[in-house]
Amino acid sequence: MSEETSAEYESGFVPSFSEAPLGAVLGSFAAAMSAVGTAAIGALMLLIVADVIGRNFLDLPITGVSEIAARTVVAIVFLQVPAAILQRRLTRADFLIRRIERASPATVAGIEAICCLAGAVIFALVLWASWPKFTQSWSTAEFFGVQGVWTIPTWPFRGITVLGAAIAVLAALYRAGMESRSIGDLR
Amino acid sequence: QQTITVNIGSSHPEANIWVYAMKNTFQPEVNRILAENGNAYQVNWVENYAGTLYKFTDTREAVMDGIVDVGMVGTVWEGANMPLQNVTYFTPFATEDHRMIIEIFDELSESLPELKNSWAENGMVHLSSLITDSYDIYATFPVNTMADLQNRKLNAPGTSANWLRETGATPVDGALTTYYTNIQTGVTEGTLSFASGILPTRVYEVAPELTRVGIGSMYFGGLAANKDFFDGLPEPVQQAFREAAGATSIAHGDYVGDLAARALDEMQAAGLTIHQLPDEEKTKWVTGLPNIVEPWLEQTGEDGKTVLKAYFNALRERGVTPLRNWDDGL
Amino acid sequence: MTTLAFGFVLIGLLVLLVLLGMQIAYALFGVAFIGIWLIRENIGLAFRMLELTAYSGIADYLFATIPLFVLMGLLVSVSNVGRDTFEVAEELLRRMVCGLGVATVAANTIFAAVTGVSIASAAVFTRVAVPEMTRHGYRPAFSAGTVAGSSVLGMLIPPSLLLIIYGVLAEVSIGGMFIAGIVPGLMLAGGFVAMLIVLTMVFPGVVLTDPEGARTRRLDRDFRPMPLDRMILKLIPIILLVVLVLGGLYTGFFTPTEAGGVGAFGALVVALSRRSLDRHKLWQVMKQTGVISVSILLLLIAASFYSRMLAIAGLPNAIAGLVTGSGFGPLGFLFFYAVIILLMGMILDSTSILLIMVPIAAPIAQGMGIDLMHFGIVTVIAVEIGLLTPPFGISVFTVHNTLNDPDVSVEQIFAATLPFIAVMLIVLITVALLPATVTVFL
Ligand code: NA
Ligand code: NA
Repeated sequence: MSEETSAEYESGFVPSFSEAPLGAVLGSFAAAMSAVGTAAIGALMLLIVADVIGRNFLDLPITGVSEIAARTVVAIVFLQVPAAILQRRLTRADFLIRRIERASPATVAGIEAICCLAGAVIFALVLWASWPKFTQSWSTAEFFGVQGVWTIPTWPFRGITVLGAAIAVLAALYRAGMESRSIGDLR
Repeated sequence: QQTITVNIGSSHPEANIWVYAMKNTFQPEVNRILAENGNAYQVNWVENYAGTLYKFTDTREAVMDGIVDVGMVGTVWEGANMPLQNVTYFTPFATEDHRMIIEIFDELSESLPELKNSWAENGMVHLSSLITDSYDIYATFPVNTMADLQNRKLNAPGTSANWLRETGATPVDGALTTYYTNIQTGVTEGTLSFASGILPTRVYEVAPELTRVGIGSMYFGGLAANKDFFDGLPEPVQQAFREAAGATSIAHGDYVGDLAARALDEMQAAGLTIHQLPDEEKTKWVTGLPNIVEPWLEQTGEDGKTVLKAYFNALRERGVTPLRNWDDGL
Repeated sequence: MTTLAFGFVLIGLLVLLVLLGMQIAYALFGVAFIGIWLIRENIGLAFRMLELTAYSGIADYLFATIPLFVLMGLLVSVSNVGRDTFEVAEELLRRMVCGLGVATVAANTIFAAVTGVSIASAAVFTRVAVPEMTRHGYRPAFSAGTVAGSSVLGMLIPPSLLLIIYGVLAEVSIGGMFIAGIVPGLMLAGGFVAMLIVLTMVFPGVVLTDPEGARTRRLDRDFRPMPLDRMILKLIPIILLVVLVLGGLYTGFFTPTEAGGVGAFGALVVALSRRSLDRHKLWQVMKQTGVISVSILLLLIAASFYSRMLAIAGLPNAIAGLVTGSGFGPLGFLFFYAVIILLMGMILDSTSILLIMVPIAAPIAQGMGIDLMHFGIVTVIAVEIGLLTPPFGISVFTVHNTLNDPDVSVEQIFAATLPFIAVMLIVLITVALLPATVTVFL
């Protein structure tokens, strides 16, 4: 238990490399993505404040704030989701699970493993569906905004969706592996 | 007898100006024509209006990807993938006659390879043109001279922000749904908009001064069918779709015309005052604009030049003298 | 099986998966994917709808306000503004029966004027009020229930994410919705206070572990009252924030959607000026914002995908047909509608319910001559009850997670919010019957 607490020091869910090399790499990567997503929230706040000040006091509104904010919020989700999976932070109703856990922890670990696999499948579907649009947006230089006023390419945003979904698949698979291993320990 | 299921839908509700004729003309017309031709085919319409399947940002992809077989496509939101269709937004002060815009674009979308191919490249078949009536200024103040626009904040989303360049007014982003609150709370002092769109939003309650500027009617998008779906239809059904599309264009023009007229009456009854921007001031506005079509021409290249020339030729053929010759030097 | 019947089967499957403890977002995504695939007999279509929803389902300025409101709540929490507000309320209400409970409601009411999401209120006051109440002999579960129950005020008193979303969906003025929410919000706060007092007097054992001790403390005349200047000093930050958010909103400096960003920035300035925030702590707060936001936002994407599947199954049209064909009058319709929302509130989050129901119901309501602002407030109160009802009650979950006390179970908190639900139902019925409660300031 003590190793786990010390490993949790940095980001709460990244195990030490010697203990679980796969989990460490995955966890660090997810933590880095999550940090970028976190920074994006701060940037969003500053952007809105800058627009409000610019518009009211300097006659200089920032064009495209609403579209940029709209795209950013999606990016924030896909940047944060792998870490959220590893940290088991996705919302669920666990009252039944906790009842069962008292009777049979192994059953619960089994259910958990199945849920994690379901998550892996779902993010794999998202990845599979999003990949073609990502390559298309790259090759056609797709943008949002208004020609001649302001434009931003869409591929970085589509890329974040693809990357987030891909890492989320790995994260969910990793958690599924952990849970299924614990079934044996709990029996 | 063969029954064909057609998924038809939109990001906007049935009462919306761009959707109204889909539900109230296109569908019944297709049914009527097929019935008249001996009922060999019958259409089972599956309706998904009002954005239950996708948002306004996704109208192109929804038809292209076959989420609906027939849908309203707002090319105005597709600056990256279908820029050619946005020619009117980059060449304002052309004409206020929205029926003419429908007629011109129904024709050009069929006859001009650049436009027809752009629909095909996006996996769609253009059926009928959708437009707005002419843009004017709805504000808390009347605009008698261009000086009245100095340091004013006006809602002017997307490409319409371009129309305020060098006028001294600051364009503020927004949408039909946000104008009321924006103006009421003073975030903006008015908006660039059109009568048929503004009536349901009750913006006139907070912006009781309408200045008729006549920025012009705009091509907004098209009623379109998924190409694979359309190509797979039996020939008589395709023909019925085409004929019904023609009727839809006329019905759309009439609906927008009636609605705009009714809107002006109702809004005046509710206290709206109408002003007219004097011609010499309007000329100042038009000539003062920078060459806003330039970036669009750069983006669209030769195709853009062809479309712009064809559009302006079609206008002049119909006796229109655009206030600015955006096609100069092409 | 008809498409519609299949739609109901899919709803049943969703409920089952959620009850079994599957992550709700996974259950929504999975059931919706299978649903679209089988109804349209086209797996390619399911993929394309999934892509469209993932990429643009929540790509909206509105949803960008969620992390910002959460950030504001957490900043207010670390800078102890919530605690100070609570302490002043506690001081002023010392002599009242169930004074700390009433103080929680009062502090929540004030706090509601700066935050737009209820979970922010729930998180802040769990940290502030529950330990204090427990220390003074209130039952921990009751304390947690009080915090969860009064947190719903955050979304009825402006600014409010739910009112913003309703305004957009029903195409009514958001500024108007904010004003419309004030009286019902205060009715709710007043109802909570009355309920707490009556409950404590009639069943002291439900509220307190040591009723006698609490009584002695309440009547104790030897305490040192908090000096007035200290009280004012403690209230200045929250007053500044309220003035910034509501004042800025109503003088036109920013829009309701921008209020989240400006408010978060204001809270940041307050936190920095109180020296309660160093770089490390700020980063912790930001990270926590991310964690809380992502679980809500992912849920929203999934719910939007799910509601599109229901549309393909023809459910919205069927419900609309059912209502129109049933011959309900306006009141009957309002009642029927509220019941549906209450049922949905048990298993879905508030935003999803609005996204599914408002586009179907608002046109029907308007057709029946119901004022859309009145309809909106009824909708939002009914939706907010869902924040407290099991099995999926996000406010209760937030309090439970934040509290992290093994002795207080989720079930106990759910039970403790029951009186709050009762008050909300009474207010819901009152507002439904008396449109004047909504339109009085409009
Ligand atoms: Na609030
Ligand atoms: Na609930």
